[in-house]
Amino acid sequence: MILSPAERSYLYDSLSQKPPIRPGARSDHQFRPLEAKTSFLPNSNGSARIRLNDGSECMISVKSKVVVTKSVTNLIDVDIDVAGFRDDSNFVSNLKYNLTSLLITNFPSQYLKLTSKYSFKLFIDCIVISHSSYPLSLISLATYLALKTTRLPLLVSEVNDEEIEEQPTFSDDWDNAKYLDEAFEPPIFITLGVIGTNLLFDPSIEEEQVLENGLIVSFYKDNVITPISNINLATNSNNSNFKGLNQKLIIESINLCNKYCPAIIKALNTLTEQDDEGDDDHIF
Amino acid sequence: MISQRKRLSSGLSVTSKVFVRSRNGGALKIVREHYLRNDIPCYSKSCQHCHDIVKADAKGELPTFILSATPAKLNSQVGHYVVLDTNIILHCIDLLENIQCFYDVIIPQTVLEEVKNRSIPIYQRLRGLVKSEDKGFAVFHNEFNEHTYINRLKNESINDRNDRAIRKVASWYNTHLNENNSPEKIEIILLCNDRDNRTKAKAEGINALSLTEYIDLLPNAEDLRDLIPADSTLSNELSNKENETTFPEFYSEARILAGIRNGTLYQGILNISPYNILEGSVKVAAFKKPLLIVGSKNLNRGFSSDSVIVELLPKDKWREPSSTIIEETTLGANDNAEDADENGDDDISGTNGVVSDKERLLLAQEAIRATTAASEEKRLQPAAKIVGITRRSWRYYVGQIAPTSVVGEDSGNSSRSCFVVLMDKTLPKIRIRTRKAKEYLGQRIVVSVDAWPSNSRYPNGHFVRSLGEIESAEAETEALLLEHDVEYRPFAKNVLDCLPAEGDNWVVPDLINTDDAQLKKRVDLRDKLVCSIDPPNCVDIDDALHAKRLPNGNYEVGVHIADVTHFVKPNTALDQEGASRGTSVYLVDKRIDMLPMLLGTNLCSLKPYVDRFAFSVIWELDEDANIVNVKFMKSVIKSREAFSYERAQLRIDDKSQTDELTDSMRVLLKLSKKLKQQRLDAGALNLASPEVKVHMDSETSDPNEVEIKKLLETNSLVEEFMLLANISVARKIYDAYPQTAMLRRHASPPATNFELLNDILNARRPGMAISLESSKALADSLDRCEDPNDPYFNTLLRIMSTRCMMAAEYFPSGSYGYPEFRHYGLAVDIYTHFTSPIRRYCDVVAHRQLAGAIGYENLDLSHRDKNKMELIVKNINRRHRNAQFAGRASIEYYVGQVMRNNESVHEGYVIKCFVNGIVVLVPKFGIEGLIKLELLGDVNTADYDENKYELKFTDLNGKKRSVAVFDKVMVDVKSVKDEVSGKRKAQLLLK
Repeated sequence: MILSPAERSYLYDSLSQKPPIRPGARSDHQFRPLEAKTSFLPNSNGSARIRLNDGSECMISVKSKVVVTKSVTNLIDVDIDVAGFRDDSNFVSNLKYNLTSLLITNFPSQYLKLTSKYSFKLFIDCIVISHSSYPLSLISLATYLALKTTRLPLLVSEVNDEEIEEQPTFSDDWDNAKYLDEAFEPPIFITLGVIGTNLLFDPSIEEEQVLENGLIVSFYKDNVITPISNINLATNSNNSNFKGLNQKLIIESINLCNKYCPAIIKALNTLTEQDDEGDDDHIF
Repeated sequence: MISQRKRLSSGLSVTSKVFVRSRNGGALKIVREHYLRNDIPCYSKSCQHCHDIVKADAKGELPTFILSATPAKLNSQVGHYVVLDTNIILHCIDLLENIQCFYDVIIPQTVLEEVKNRSIPIYQRLRGLVKSEDKGFAVFHNEFNEHTYINRLKNESINDRNDRAIRKVASWYNTHLNENNSPEKIEIILLCNDRDNRTKAKAEGINALSLTEYIDLLPNAEDLRDLIPADSTLSNELSNKENETTFPEFYSEARILAGIRNGTLYQGILNISPYNILEGSVKVAAFKKPLLIVGSKNLNRGFSSDSVIVELLPKDKWREPSSTIIEETTLGANDNAEDADENGDDDISGTNGVVSDKERLLLAQEAIRATTAASEEKRLQPAAKIVGITRRSWRYYVGQIAPTSVVGEDSGNSSRSCFVVLMDKTLPKIRIRTRKAKEYLGQRIVVSVDAWPSNSRYPNGHFVRSLGEIESAEAETEALLLEHDVEYRPFAKNVLDCLPAEGDNWVVPDLINTDDAQLKKRVDLRDKLVCSIDPPNCVDIDDALHAKRLPNGNYEVGVHIADVTHFVKPNTALDQEGASRGTSVYLVDKRIDMLPMLLGTNLCSLKPYVDRFAFSVIWELDEDANIVNVKFMKSVIKSREAFSYERAQLRIDDKSQTDELTDSMRVLLKLSKKLKQQRLDAGALNLASPEVKVHMDSETSDPNEVEIKKLLETNSLVEEFMLLANISVARKIYDAYPQTAMLRRHASPPATNFELLNDILNARRPGMAISLESSKALADSLDRCEDPNDPYFNTLLRIMSTRCMMAAEYFPSGSYGYPEFRHYGLAVDIYTHFTSPIRRYCDVVAHRQLAGAIGYENLDLSHRDKNKMELIVKNINRRHRNAQFAGRASIEYYVGQVMRNNESVHEGYVIKCFVNGIVVLVPKFGIEGLIKLELLGDVNTADYDENKYELKFTDLNGKKRSVAVFDKVMVDVKSVKDEVSGKRKAQLLLK
């Protein structure tokens, strides 16, 4: 979407106000409304889908496989497919790199450990069916939901196979499958737009066009964690406002995220709980 | 996960099942959609509703209602149907087959599937019961019926869920019949031996009974009670009371799977030594030598030919194969109080705490080294212990009650346990409970094994039926047929229905005026001078021959084989019966046919003077018997004469006979000699086995004489041309069906098989050896091994070599590469069986494939599918082996009967030497027998030199003697009956 110079100027000025006036009448820390559904793919261990009002949609499936721990480099494998982009494009590789490294560094691998020799390996497959704004936080929130509802078959054989090797065997009852951990809250990414001294949560496609800079903040266990990176979100603009980033804003972004992200996590958790209680009607 | 049913259309709804499948250590979430119908009937003739809901199947046939409207009444004077639980079927299949009880039985699909997963043979017998329809067995597809399908509840084990499904079937039948649709009340009885399940069923208002309770309700309960198999709960009480030794528990499946994968555990078939019941061996691909398993703790409840998992023992436990003889009978003939101490029992299992996989791996590597190294440790064999049994080989066993185990006076009607000693010496005694032990003493009885709990010294079983008095010909014959798993029941009606309606009056139809396209393809060979040469009194004539000199100086030679496949069409009941029998079995006094008499002895048999259909192979051979040309055709022939070997020989030798037929036989003889020479030059083996023939008294059919089979030139005449036909056909069908052609191969023997024999030769006959580079080398080296003082030595060596050979086997051509098709014994590159379709199923398949290859008819799919062919060859290989064993056992039995009356002294040869005995072969009778040291002389003076295979001892007269392998000895042969096993054996005594 390309805005006219007049539109750009109007939007820029509105967003630079203190407090900013956002096109969707959102406050600065407010997300766009989203609709989500979990555990709907029958063959997956966990699954989630998030839709936004503008038609952006992302689907995640988590599958598991038993591996010999020593034989694999990491226990999480992420694959992202974005409609309209080649798999080897910079756009997709960046998304994939961000998400993979976030999960690998912050995923408690003891949840996946089966025995001293064997572990589960998780395969997280994302499909972004359509998107307007930068889809990383969309993917990340959907991944949160999918991992939160992921269940792994219950091991019934010996856990200690240090001395005498045993091949893992599992309970055949899917109802016995276990969630990763009740308390486990996977890490997420939050996208922030920088305009003047304002920080805007979850910028929409129109807002992205006039932003001076963008920040991607990671959040895990009630705290902002590294990496925090900046990004030019105004990719579609032919006349970018892009500027350098004020250090103070980084500090502020951390404060803001620490303040508001727990509410996001809480909302997502409520969502999974509600979905659990509901029946398994198909979404399609 | 709570899944819901959705109606798809009227009569069809869908639900889904979610479960986890563990396989090879992985865990897979599986989701299955499950479709439910409302048109599955209850199959009861008394139901007035289900006839309206049934729908026709794909063939347009409606299901038959099989449960009687007036079922058998119990004491309550109400008719009843029985719903069976899985365990009842698994344990009491004999009782279900009994014609005295179990009519109108409902088998829920859940149960059928569980039975299939647990035991394929029992499943097949159950399917047979359902199919035959005479006992009113109905399979009710409860899993697909809307009313009886149930979802698995949260935290419910699959067994509990299935039990609940079975109870649901019972309660559904009850409401379905009694509340709505049946004019008369029919009681539904759930039979179940699980007390917990019965309690639950009763709480749900179902009449649930245990098997014993049910049998007691029957009018003929008295006769049936003994047939109830040992209840597992009962045997537990029993063993607790008697406080027997415990066997080590088996490893968990998880541990076994991982162990096999990381190379610390091995899988193989257990083979118990026929001389020592406490010593078994397991052949494992990783080691060149079989692993030894010694002592009952290490054997850990393994039966001979079970598929077992073994673990290596520490190196200091490795040993040589024992040279001691231990038999079950000597082990605990009198043991009733269960206190016999066992020989060779190493108490290592379980006690040595934790051995890590790492140590086990080192051990395995050491074992590989030891079995390959040619050091002085050569004779040392790695020892192992059994840690798991993957598949039991349990079947029916024939044996007799050990008289010593029946003690005390009969205390009325209570059942007591006693031991059954089996005919197969490599198996342990079986404990059964019976009320009639005294009655069964001295009879051959059939028992079946139920379980072998780890706290019981002997396996528990139950009585099945009695075959009759020991040593009566009927009982012994039936016993040996059962022991070798030979199907000997008469052909079923549906099999006989496949035969031509004309029966014995069938004649070859008119070839010329016919519309039958296949008949038109037949070649009329009735003008050829065909004759057959067979053993005297042969009624199933498979093959006939003809020969003719051609104008160009070559010969036309034809082999004509009975055209069995004209009558046995694929996928008929007749074909299936033939395929499952696999081969005819020849006993001394009896023949068990593969195909019904009508075909074997009449319609297919190439009888003289009548027209018969044949499958012909016609060669053009040159003067040196090289093949110039070969043709295959379906034909019609008319045999001019059926000769016996002897008569044919006489006729050929009779110079005065100059008719065309005799001349053509002379041509055949001449060519056959050249063929034989060619074969021998190529390295065909001439091996020997001590074959004898038993003559029966023609009036009383008592055996009265034994003779060694004689071979005439005419024997080899027929044989050579049959070999030639088989080879030609093999090439043709391999050419046409490279993946599935039915072939026969004979692998070259591995050098290790001959190790012992060569070692003995080296020690006893220095300078002699058997070389193994090729079959030619082997044949030549056997020829060189002559003892000038003993003409029989060479034959003896051939007999012993035969035992070192691999067994020939059938296989579909896709299973091996071409170089491995080789038939070692015949020294040909490719071979099959084509010439005896009346008595071998392989030949039937070869016939069909050849007919397909020459474009006579299309080949059936089952002979073009590699997997199906694998199944066929697996069965016929087994049947073939069993038939051979049964034949030999029959001869052995009759030889024993002959000797019963004539005790005499004969020449024998020592073929094995042990620390405490020798094995002697008596060529005259083709028998071999063990002579124990006690009978030889003073046990204390015995000295066994294992390097020289020589046993020195002081005999009963105080003279010093020594016997060694290959020694010729005079033995006193008489027949004695072993009181414990009831087997008549040749008792040999050294003179």
